[in-house]
Amino acid sequence: MPYCYYTCNLIPLDLIIRAGYTPRWLGGFLRDPTASTRRDAPSVHPMTCPYVTKLVAAADALFGAAPDGGTSDDDASGAADGSRPAASPDVLVVPGGCDAARRMGDLLAATYPDQVFVLPMPRGSEPEVAETLATDLRGLEDWLGACRPAGTAPVTDAAAATDTDQREPTGALSNVTQTDCCVPSLDYPSPPRQGGVFVIAGPLTDDSLLRLIERLGAHVSGLESCTSPDRWRPLAVAAGAAAAMSAAGATREAEIDAATRLAPLDHEALAARLLEIGMCPRRSTTHRRDHLARRLDQSRPSSIIYARQSFCDPGAYDALLAADLAKERGLPYLEIEVDFPFDANGPLHTRVEAFLEAQLLDEDLLSDLDY
Amino acid sequence: MPGMADITGDSFSASLVRAAFLAQTRLKALQSRTARRYMNLHALSASLDLFKPGAIVPWVSYLFPTELLTSYRLTPMIPEVGSATLTGTDLREPLEAAAARMPLARDVCSYHRIALAAVENDMLPAPSMCLGTTPLCLGKECLLEMLAVRHNVPFREVRVPLPPDEGETSPEVIADVAEQLRVLHEDIGRWTGRKPDLQRAIRLSNRASAAWGHLMTERLAGRLEMDGRLTFAIVFLGQLLWGTEEGAKDFERLLSERGRRDLMAPILDGGRRLKRLLWLHTVPHHDTEIFDLIREQGAVVILEEMGQMHLETVDPEDPFPGLAGRLANNVLWGSSARRAHLNVALAKQLKVDGAVHFNHWGCRHGLGSLPVVRSAFAQAGIPFLAIDGDALGRGGAQQDKARQAMESFLELL
Repeated sequence: MPYCYYTCNLIPLDLIIRAGYTPRWLGGFLRDPTASTRRDAPSVHPMTCPYVTKLVAAADALFGAAPDGGTSDDDASGAADGSRPAASPDVLVVPGGCDAARRMGDLLAATYPDQVFVLPMPRGSEPEVAETLATDLRGLEDWLGACRPAGTAPVTDAAAATDTDQREPTGALSNVTQTDCCVPSLDYPSPPRQGGVFVIAGPLTDDSLLRLIERLGAHVSGLESCTSPDRWRPLAVAAGAAAAMSAAGATREAEIDAATRLAPLDHEALAARLLEIGMCPRRSTTHRRDHLARRLDQSRPSSIIYARQSFCDPGAYDALLAADLAKERGLPYLEIEVDFPFDANGPLHTRVEAFLEAQLLDEDLLSDLDY
Repeated sequence: MPGMADITGDSFSASLVRAAFLAQTRLKALQSRTARRYMNLHALSASLDLFKPGAIVPWVSYLFPTELLTSYRLTPMIPEVGSATLTGTDLREPLEAAAARMPLARDVCSYHRIALAAVENDMLPAPSMCLGTTPLCLGKECLLEMLAVRHNVPFREVRVPLPPDEGETSPEVIADVAEQLRVLHEDIGRWTGRKPDLQRAIRLSNRASAAWGHLMTERLAGRLEMDGRLTFAIVFLGQLLWGTEEGAKDFERLLSERGRRDLMAPILDGGRRLKRLLWLHTVPHHDTEIFDLIREQGAVVILEEMGQMHLETVDPEDPFPGLAGRLANNVLWGSSARRAHLNVALAKQLKVDGAVHFNHWGCRHGLGSLPVVRSAFAQAGIPFLAIDGDALGRGGAQQDKARQAMESFLELL
């Protein structure tokens, strides 16, 4: 099966798998920083968030021609894994949630014609918005079908796939193996519990930020990120995706739940579900505020850390919102500017450490006062 | 000497200062009798009314069809225009200090950052409603909705799908946007308790659009050479005046030679030909050095990308589809490929010697499309320069760098 790379988790993997592709999150295929770059590789303005910058480079490693002087397939990929050589039947889907992402899609579509689909992503979630998104999802499905190489077929074996007694995906879906499929593997290093740090972040490749917090003697109350398990798990609504979910530690119940949903694709329902789950910073401020407030009330944290990527507009306004929510609840708040992938060393480590230590100090002092 | 801080207050003395300030601006307009001076007067006059106690202040996005507001005798508060105006006054320093204290990240668009600092520090009036449009960027939608949440006022967003890369937006999409505008127009009436007169607003807007459209046609045909830096300001301020009697008269003043005489391209000694530049995106409002340099080097901004709006009239009997079409087909909306394609066609039509893209600080929408636009100009063999800067900036290392780049570019041309 050809690969369908995607840049954002607001892509229903179900739709990709049914169209005959193996879904792969592009964030899992970042270019090796030491790999050579093509002379004609697309470049973005330096005032672009690191996520988009790195994904453009990753896409070029996968879809661009061989770097100057490079001859082998490995050179052509430049990616950390054994990705496919240039001129492959692979495609890329870019949900245009924010301006930077939309422009990334524009750039990649112009650079690799016919291999890139830019999916408009709305801010609101009104019925007419969901309707438009459903139409766009149909458009994506049609496009994937048109791009699919001859000799490959869409997944229609719903009967086999919906057999929930099967532990492994069956029929055409069995082609989607755990090693092929790639979804964000971010998860909580230990189960979240109340009274800890609530982390709000942009895309994260791994749990290093959460582990850093734990290493510093605190614990995590919750995570709100576009790659967080609360986000991507419900979105991976297909039996085919269950394999990947299993690899990433999803529960058996979640797998079965996912598998049972492989009924004929209902684009309207899918769009509505997508808008319901994808409550990310680009969304309506009112809805996002309600969402964050609910999550904070559920997880009852003792502090909030906002890990914002530099040059991220939605993140900048979202951080203000989070700061307001923290203030309303009397919670200590820290905003840190992070790179992609997240680097837990250096000044960032010191800032988080100082923030957490200050809280521990506060708690100690309060304990002393009790006596 | 009273400054802007005295003008923007809501006290009796502030109203006296406002009256004196306007009288001074009126005198300048009467002396020059140019459209530009009158437009300054009328835009300032309308905007200062927003500071009066009890004023209804609709904060809107730059491309919002303001006729929906003038229908109710409301003046829009456009963050970009407000920021550019305030940073050109003696409020600049306290405003920059307020922005620096603000927890909003420094890398967001400076128009929006400054606007937020201004409203949070009583230098711009607080919103009574916030009305956005998906064109052109997400940042200002985030700003407008956040303001609405903070001030507990209504927020509406007109959703405008991206136009196709080639051709115009489909009638179905136009109908959908038109319906949103119709509902919004009704909502504004409900919120304000005022009676609308949209037909009148549209007729007045049409008079302005007809004049501006005619001027742009002449410029595109090469029959009229105006200085695009100066005409940029006309459209920028004009956003406050579409649909008003004053706006109609001011745009119509442009039709006479006298009315537009301070907007014309320079004429070089000895009949030498000006180097013609196409200016893409916004301009550095307070940085005169770049444009002084352009003039010194015998060049001129012959057309500005953002001037391409309100080029046609809309039907006063059924205005919503026309307003929707204007919004949906705006030249800056759509994919980077569309923007590139339209601008290369424009450059060819105008036979420009080169194009300059102003990379405004923090504008993801503009900066993001740069690689595709640059590549399209390269393929068309048209010299292209992208300069980094802040539209609200004044001086500094970045400006020096931009000036040096411009100097080299003009020499190359």
